[in-house]
Amino acid sequence: MENNEVVMGAEHIATASRRPPLRWLGAGTAGVVLIFLLAPFGGLALATDWHDFHFVPGDIQAIWVSLFYSALALLLVVLAGTPLAWWLAHGVHRGKWVLDALLLLPLLTPPLAMGILLSTFYGPYSPVGGLLSQAGIYLTNSAPAFVLAQIYGAMPYYVLAARAALEGVPEELEQISRTLGRNRWQTFWRVTVPLARLGLAAGVALAWVRAMGEFGIVLIVAYFPQGIPVKLWVNLQDVGLTAVYPLLWVFFWVAIPLPLWLGLRTRRGLL
Amino acid sequence: MHIHYQIDQPVHLDVQMEVRAFTVLLGLSGEGKSILLKAIAGLIPARGSPFGGLAAEQRPIGYLPQGYALFPHLRAWENVAYPLRGSDRRRQAMDLLARVGLGEMAERYPDALSGGQRQRVALARALARRPELLLLDEPTSALDMATRDEILDALISEVHDFGVPVLAVTHDPHLAMLADHMAVLLNGRIAQEGRPQTMFARPVSAGVARLLGFRNCFAGTVEQVDSLGMTVIVAGWPLRAGPREDLRPGMAVTVVIRSEDFVLCDAVDASAENVLCLKLTRLREEGLAWRVRLEGGLSVDMLLARRLCTGRRPTIGETWCVHVAAEHVQVLMEEGGSSRAAGD
Repeated sequence: MENNEVVMGAEHIATASRRPPLRWLGAGTAGVVLIFLLAPFGGLALATDWHDFHFVPGDIQAIWVSLFYSALALLLVVLAGTPLAWWLAHGVHRGKWVLDALLLLPLLTPPLAMGILLSTFYGPYSPVGGLLSQAGIYLTNSAPAFVLAQIYGAMPYYVLAARAALEGVPEELEQISRTLGRNRWQTFWRVTVPLARLGLAAGVALAWVRAMGEFGIVLIVAYFPQGIPVKLWVNLQDVGLTAVYPLLWVFFWVAIPLPLWLGLRTRRGLL
Repeated sequence: MHIHYQIDQPVHLDVQMEVRAFTVLLGLSGEGKSILLKAIAGLIPARGSPFGGLAAEQRPIGYLPQGYALFPHLRAWENVAYPLRGSDRRRQAMDLLARVGLGEMAERYPDALSGGQRQRVALARALARRPELLLLDEPTSALDMATRDEILDALISEVHDFGVPVLAVTHDPHLAMLADHMAVLLNGRIAQEGRPQTMFARPVSAGVARLLGFRNCFAGTVEQVDSLGMTVIVAGWPLRAGPREDLRPGMAVTVVIRSEDFVLCDAVDASAENVLCLKLTRLREEGLAWRVRLEGGLSVDMLLARRLCTGRRPTIGETWCVHVAAEHVQVLMEEGGSSRAAGD
């Protein structure tokens, strides 16, 4: 028994003396990984020719196209995606797993493949495209096609995030709200949305970045009007790497602030 | 207020009962008590009255679920003001909080309140709607034992002050004892209702008796009925009980006795009325009492205050003689009793 205690004591001392190096090892690894992730951004700062920082013709227009249509796409994603997310979160249906799997389909499909699917379905030679073109809506190389591509790129991410956020709201609180004289719509705005705000904000941030950065789908169905991602690719092809950097900086400046602002506010409990 | 509700899913219930002042509906867990409250509140499909056919938001009820369900993103006063409308809602909410003694807690969020304080905020919020009926789901479940009675007393006096009829559901007989009126839910129906004093003294069935805390339930046969009472034979033991006009010699009956109604007596009294000498087979301390199991011709569960056996520590295997007064022997006209103590 005494021997055991001595041995256990020795182990304890050994563990305690091992702790500081382990802590340094953990901090060191974290630092290396962080540097690994951020190094390309630092590289961009070094590679940019700050004395000759200028845009290529068409860049400014691409910035406005990206900003305006992404905002429109985000609005439509939130308006259409929130009811779907709510229904998925609250509905008790048989075979719900099938719906879950189907929802994952557009998410898991590679963007280029998704673009081809959209082109096949909404293109001018498809029945749907034909009907829409009779109504004056052309879903190839047009502003509506651009927004459509962004919606397909962003909505699955938003719906998944929003659904998880809405599922996290205790149903009992929504029921209590109704017993306190508030109808479903009032309950949604006064209880569900405030309690799901962190997840919904994450969904909005994710959808914004996805819409702004959508390249594969847009390339196939809406080469024109050119937003920032396609214009970056065109500049790379036509001019070279140096022509890409100014637009790339702008892309970061317009795409990142919204997610960053939402993230910081939620972390500080301000949202 | 008379309540009649029928529910098919998720459990079958057909409940008819009166709600007077502070009414308690007692039932086992899983019997469907909470479902009944949700049905009355309009939160699950059901047929019934009052309020049948109205949407949940149109029913004039106040509903306090287990845990109280305060909105975590709203301060105490904002929770209370939730059902209120108009520019005066803050003042009305503050008045209600003051009435439940929480005026100074108005700016706190629910996670900064104790269990009792949350319950009172939830009560103020439910009352803000000016309900015609207040529904409480297991109001004692989220309270600790140390403060439970104090908080319950305050809750009952507050609902009496507000003058709103209350229906509280629980599996806790202790809460039922404090009620103005009570009912017992058994197998989806009301098995008995009335004043708690009557119910605890005279349960109508073994099932009701078990819910009311009777732990001794024996099958017996009526041997003799006279003007002073009757004699029931339980496992060969002639047991005297109070008078009953509806029982005849030879009838099969169930006898129920509370554990605390057995008292120790001397072995010399063994031939006296309602005295039984049995062997002590199990012993457990229960607060200031001993929970004792005695076995012989039948098995008896007894709760013995420790002050009644000072200077003498009970020992397994020794023989004890116990007595039960005739007025504490409840004879029920039904079959299915057991010769073993129930609830063990």
